[in-house]
Amino acid sequence: MILEVDNLQIHYSTRDGTARAVDGASFVVPEGRIVGLVGESGCGKTTAVRAIMGVLAENGRQAGGRIVFKGQAMDEATTRRLRWRDIAYVPQSAMSSLDPVYTVGSQLIEVLTKRGGFSRTTARARSVELFDLVGLNERRLADYPHQFSGGMRQRAAIAMALALEPSLLLADEPVTALDVIVQRQILDVLRSLQQRLKVSMVLVTHDISVVAYLCDEVVVMYAGQVVESGPVREVLARPRHPYTMGLRNAFPDLLSDALELVPIGGSPPDLREPLSGCRFVPRCPFAQPACSLDAAMSGDGVHQSACRRDGEADTLRTAALDPRTWQRSSSFAMS
Amino acid sequence: MAERAEPAPARTGWPLLPVLRRMAAMPLKDPFAFAGVLIYLLFALVALFAAELAPLDPMEILFTKAGKLAANVPPGAEFPLGTTNLGRDIYAQLIYGTRSALAVGLSAAIIVATVGTIVGLVAGYFGGTTDAVLMRIADMALSLPFLPFVIVLTGFLGASTSNIVLAVALLLWPNSARVIRSQVLTLRERAYVEAARVTGASAWRILFVHIAPNILPLSFVYAAIAIGWAIITEASVSFLGFGDSGSVSWGMMLQDAFASQALSRGQYAWFVPPGICIVLVVVAGFFISRGYEEVFMPRLRGR
Amino acid sequence: MRLVLERFTHNALALLAVTTILFFMFRLMPGTPLAAFINENLNADQQQAMLEQFGLDRPMWQQYFIYLANLLQGEMGLSFFQRRPVMTILLEVLPNSVILTLTSLIIAYIFGVLAGAWLAWKRGSWIERAAVPAVLATRAAPEFWIGMVLLALLSFNAGWFPSGGASSPGMAYSSNWDRIFSLDYVHHLALPVLTLALYLQGLPLLLMRSNMLEVMHEEFVTMARMKGLSEWRIVIGHAARNALLPVVTAFALGVGLSMGGNVVIETVFSWPGIGRLLVQAVSVHDYPLAQGAFLMIALVLALMNFVADLLYMVLDPRVSHGRKS
Repeated sequence: MILEVDNLQIHYSTRDGTARAVDGASFVVPEGRIVGLVGESGCGKTTAVRAIMGVLAENGRQAGGRIVFKGQAMDEATTRRLRWRDIAYVPQSAMSSLDPVYTVGSQLIEVLTKRGGFSRTTARARSVELFDLVGLNERRLADYPHQFSGGMRQRAAIAMALALEPSLLLADEPVTALDVIVQRQILDVLRSLQQRLKVSMVLVTHDISVVAYLCDEVVVMYAGQVVESGPVREVLARPRHPYTMGLRNAFPDLLSDALELVPIGGSPPDLREPLSGCRFVPRCPFAQPACSLDAAMSGDGVHQSACRRDGEADTLRTAALDPRTWQRSSSFAMS
Repeated sequence: MAERAEPAPARTGWPLLPVLRRMAAMPLKDPFAFAGVLIYLLFALVALFAAELAPLDPMEILFTKAGKLAANVPPGAEFPLGTTNLGRDIYAQLIYGTRSALAVGLSAAIIVATVGTIVGLVAGYFGGTTDAVLMRIADMALSLPFLPFVIVLTGFLGASTSNIVLAVALLLWPNSARVIRSQVLTLRERAYVEAARVTGASAWRILFVHIAPNILPLSFVYAAIAIGWAIITEASVSFLGFGDSGSVSWGMMLQDAFASQALSRGQYAWFVPPGICIVLVVVAGFFISRGYEEVFMPRLRGR
Repeated sequence: MRLVLERFTHNALALLAVTTILFFMFRLMPGTPLAAFINENLNADQQQAMLEQFGLDRPMWQQYFIYLANLLQGEMGLSFFQRRPVMTILLEVLPNSVILTLTSLIIAYIFGVLAGAWLAWKRGSWIERAAVPAVLATRAAPEFWIGMVLLALLSFNAGWFPSGGASSPGMAYSSNWDRIFSLDYVHHLALPVLTLALYLQGLPLLLMRSNMLEVMHEEFVTMARMKGLSEWRIVIGHAARNALLPVVTAFALGVGLSMGGNVVIETVFSWPGIGRLLVQAVSVHDYPLAQGAFLMIALVLALMNFVADLLYMVLDPRVSHGRKS
């Protein structure tokens, strides 16, 4: 395992109380694999990834749990040392992630010289290589960020992330801001890079089709916790947690059957409130009274699910395929 | 990104009342704006009760008991701030000067706010040639050097307070007009305006019922700023000798002090208090305008 | 390039509008229309010369174009009281105003930028909470009053600085440059500059502070942190570089605005500049001189507006380098 996240807790202090953005999330990233971190906005996936980079906002802090990278527990000093050199980040919007007043090339060289210790000449040569790697013309090095198109900017962001040859790449919604055709291109770039450079990746997204296209493993998050994890094919074909079942329904292009889009009613809980038991209860069509008490992970070591009714997964899954299941919440959930 | 949220304008009914309520409540939340309001109130009270607060006539030339001119008397029991070199009570002048300051400030502010708001609304909403023409006029006003223009106008047309107010208003309205116009441009595209248009509401109705109330805080921002600017300009113009010689104003006091060599005599009690009063009133305007800026474009403070 | 032309035209038209307004304003002054250029102070020859030069016996619209043509050649008539060409008088005093403005602005902006950035750094501390209202107070005080107080304290009271003028009586210099760089000149310059700088620093300070606060929250600053770049490099190289853009533009605009605003400072300190000249000319109704001084100030304003536009275009790559596919 190149990365192990163990019972991570990230808290934000807000005017209205402490928001527990990540509340006991655990997952692992096997070496050389692409792990998709999927969930709705606000589920804590971006926070978790930023915590790994050590760049939480001023009012955020890691309140518990461990992050272990290459067998080493990550404290502030280690994080600062390893930043970009071994763990790098691909942002969602490269437009706002690049300084608008410097050329892309100079920002690349900045990272190479200041963090990588290369000489300017070597850095320049290396930036040409990096652009080549992501399919960008080297003449673009002299351009400013606003002169790039969306897809090209993401390629540049990927090049920037790979500059110091990190072992782990954290990609935060890297294709969300792009149109579908360009999305595929960028995902292909990521895939080919991953295969060539043997880089491990965590791909954060809310789009399950992206996960299906690119990832080897998937970790599903909801309300700050991990609710299901396992190999991609397995989890998407045979989801064991009602939330994943609902997510899958929301992206019917994955399934060969032409199903109608079925949104999951309701919205995620307020993370500032104290919550107990399974957090999906208010929106879950299969909720039972016992669900509010606890929700521990169960399942074989490979495919895990945090649902108490894991044993009945097959029955629930069939019921989940029927849109009417989602239109009425369970009688318990309504109370 | 810096977080700024625009207040959601009320969608049903006339948004004027909620906006007014928010505006009235603003000073209660912002301590500086509150201080500003207090200062304004204080000066307003002083202006109202000037006669009670300062028994002596500010323009009256006074004599000592011995019959000599009471010139440059140092501050004491009889004259709290002393007298000018012509024997006038400085304290009385300071108190009565409040009236002139508030009159100038308020009239300029009202004109600037009214003209600026109307121009901004019309230019922003109707666009096209109207917008182009109005903005060209605004540009012309902005390319006139401020103080020199006021000086030339009062120097040649005559030194009266109304001329000064007129000149100030003529040059200050473009700033508010421009900002209000750009706000109207954004509001114009909002869903509820579209809805009103579709249901057949006339342009003027949309303008005054839906858009104008949401612009109101902005108008106040610029009104508050205009008060300060007008007072400082009046003081500057008076200081240069183009002021209204008939009325007592803080600017005129400063001019008088300067011209009678009060500086070399170290008569701080004469020229320091008027300046402090100006600072107070203007700074109060700044605080209040900052407060309304928050109402209009609240920055989410803290987390 | 097209943008440059557009801004130039815009500012030139604004200046034209100002001159036109001025033309009509002075014609409408009490007295005969001739009163704008002719006065009994001038001798008969001079009066005749002005009549011809400005076509004062011709219809109004013709006068207007003659007036503009004359202006472009720098011909503004004769000062009633000095009986010399207005242009000559203006050029004599212009350097004093320029030096006063530039020196004060440079000092004010250097201080303002550094202090503003520092205050942004100290966000949330009591220093910052106390400093912002204090700075607002400096902007609320009339410049000339600050000048008066400083004059009383540092000149009349302490005797550290002269009380006015640009030079001590009896000084003679071989050339203008010698005069400007002499210690005596600088000594006289000190108080006016101090006053102006005190008043002007508020704007760059508050602007820089607010810009820094915004920029520090931008995504690219967080990215820079994620890259592991040093705090110094992030704050200065990235944040400040972005925050400075509007400040530089404000500087250029400040020069233009100051020339007009310096009127009062020059009066307090008897500084022989254009502003003081304008005031004197207006007081004695020396119309040609007043017009000339006003126009010169307006010219500087329009010029600096244009310079500000240019600076913005040059310094922001988003404007100077257009979009490519």
